[in-house]
Amino acid sequence: MSVLTEMSEMLQKGKSAETAALVQKALDEGMTPQDVLDNGLMPGMDVIGERFKNNDIFIPEVLIAARAMGAGTDVLRPLLSASDAADRGTVVIGTIKDDLHDIGKNLVAMMMESKGLKVINLGNNVPPEKYIEAAIEHNADIIACAALLTTTMVHMKDVVSLLAESPLAGKAKIMVGGAPVNQAYCDAIGADGYAPDATMAAEKALELMKAA
Amino acid sequence: MRGKQLIFDVLEGKTVERTPWVPYTGAQIANLKGYTAEELFKSADKLYECLIEAEKQYTPDGMPAIFDLQVEAEILGCELTWYKNSPPTVSSHPLSVEFEIPTQVLKETDGRIPLIVEAMKRFKEARPNIAMYGLVCGPFTLASHLRGTSIFMDMYDSEDKVKELINYCEVQVRELAKMYVEAGCDIIAAVDPLVSQISPEMFETFLAEPFSTFFAAMKEINMPSSFFVCGDATKNMEPMCKTKPGCIAIDENVDIVEAKKITDKYDITMSGNMQLTIDMLLGTQQDNQKAALVLMDNLGKKNFILAPGCDVPFDAPAENLIAVGQAVHNPEAVKIALENYVAIDDLPEIELPDYDNLDHVLVEVVTIDSKTCAACGYMVAAANDAAKDIGIDVKVVERSIMYKETLAFANKVGLKNMPSILVNGEIRHVSLIPPVDILKEEILAAKK
Repeated sequence: MSVLTEMSEMLQKGKSAETAALVQKALDEGMTPQDVLDNGLMPGMDVIGERFKNNDIFIPEVLIAARAMGAGTDVLRPLLSASDAADRGTVVIGTIKDDLHDIGKNLVAMMMESKGLKVINLGNNVPPEKYIEAAIEHNADIIACAALLTTTMVHMKDVVSLLAESPLAGKAKIMVGGAPVNQAYCDAIGADGYAPDATMAAEKALELMKAA
Repeated sequence: MRGKQLIFDVLEGKTVERTPWVPYTGAQIANLKGYTAEELFKSADKLYECLIEAEKQYTPDGMPAIFDLQVEAEILGCELTWYKNSPPTVSSHPLSVEFEIPTQVLKETDGRIPLIVEAMKRFKEARPNIAMYGLVCGPFTLASHLRGTSIFMDMYDSEDKVKELINYCEVQVRELAKMYVEAGCDIIAAVDPLVSQISPEMFETFLAEPFSTFFAAMKEINMPSSFFVCGDATKNMEPMCKTKPGCIAIDENVDIVEAKKITDKYDITMSGNMQLTIDMLLGTQQDNQKAALVLMDNLGKKNFILAPGCDVPFDAPAENLIAVGQAVHNPEAVKIALENYVAIDDLPEIELPDYDNLDHVLVEVVTIDSKTCAACGYMVAAANDAAKDIGIDVKVVERSIMYKETLAFANKVGLKNMPSILVNGEIRHVSLIPPVDILKEEILAAKK
């Protein structure tokens, strides 16, 4: 088994120490940090994403895999140039105003990171204007809003309106998601993209950026 | 047949004459009396008042006394954030830093238990024929309230400790369930939305034992039980059945027809799964009636209770729940009314009354049908009571949308929901039954 395959499998099992050790081994064997990331860690996380999307695995399995991914990227980080991470795009993400639920939003953030996106996580209970401020500050490509409650998802519309009046109008896209949200609601408020789960959200973000 | 008995019969596996209806009304009922969710959840008087009103309007066979999964967490040290339009949410987790198993035991004088128990006792006395559901927070969700989201990682890193915490939570909610039984509840439900977020293997490892213990304890005291879950719990249907609840309640993320094939194998009743957002919150009365009829047709009259997927959204219009009640109590009439809607482009031409030149005050009550829709009947009665002995010439007419002419009328005056009251052509009250004295004043004011 190649070191990269083994690394991917350890990541999928959530073995942090083993994943980090295999990253170091791959580097010692002369692979570039970008190779290790693209062909070892990311394929492992892709498998996790696919299995999560298909309901083969659930939140605990994704979280420990993401932790192993983090252990691996910690080894690589000093070796990767700072600009690499932002190359694929920047996402500002948060759970909308008055909503304190963040498990799903954090999963989306992890999946997006595993796809090579730079993610600015604003936490939960984020006022609409804060998304826009952060998006301007980080020159974001995507603003991602999450909601678990039917009473809070209504604030997503305000993010759409505020973006339209901001300097990022026409450039940044808005994604929405969370248990009560669906494609019909996304269309109704004029958001650009909806995804039903974390894996598809990461794919959607890449798709929106490609279309931009 | 009385609603409660209907539910008991279904839970015993009998085929019943019609599908029972249990609206999971939580914060939403605050709207019926103009309260906020926070006011509702903090006052026995307001909770009781809204329960009575919900029972009157929604014509349920059973209903929860309160739908708030934070009651236990609040007592055990979680801080809550309160809202005017939704149940409170947990905003701090006492075990997030120091993961120690608590020793506190829930007592009947703790937190909001006294007010809940009081409202339960009063509601039970006032409406003894409605199956009163006592909802407790499921032990896994309660454990996550106490520990925070790191509980998911703990399931790998500290398996024994997580088991211990969940088992502790089960003991606490079992105690609370017994208090609710004492207060008169007819069925106890453990509501554990997080169950959908773990695999069947994890369920087996962490939840099979505490849930089996919980439902066995209910059985021991002859108390029917239900296992509520939210989200896509498809893969956990079988493991949930193995814990032997009397009923499993699911939301729209699960294919209810397929899920019922599993629950039927275990002789467990299935409850669900009206769409919360698309239909109940954003849909029309007709959308909700159609959805209810489809569910009733597909799932039959054995081992099935019609219910929303979960806690009804706060802003779900009362008229949507009224409409579902109507579809349950008189499905054939509703089917005819829905056919009229389908033919909306083919409505008869009608002329509206000459409202500006009437020699009397005209009160028009637009109903689904006052004979079969309880809320409609109350609306007609309110209009008649207001008109009685008022000292001026008032005519009260009922217009039922069972007739195409009424649908044409509703279209022409811009009325979307029933029951409603118009006074001299002006829409005055939609869905909510007005106090008689207010309606009386409106009638007097309308006299030229």
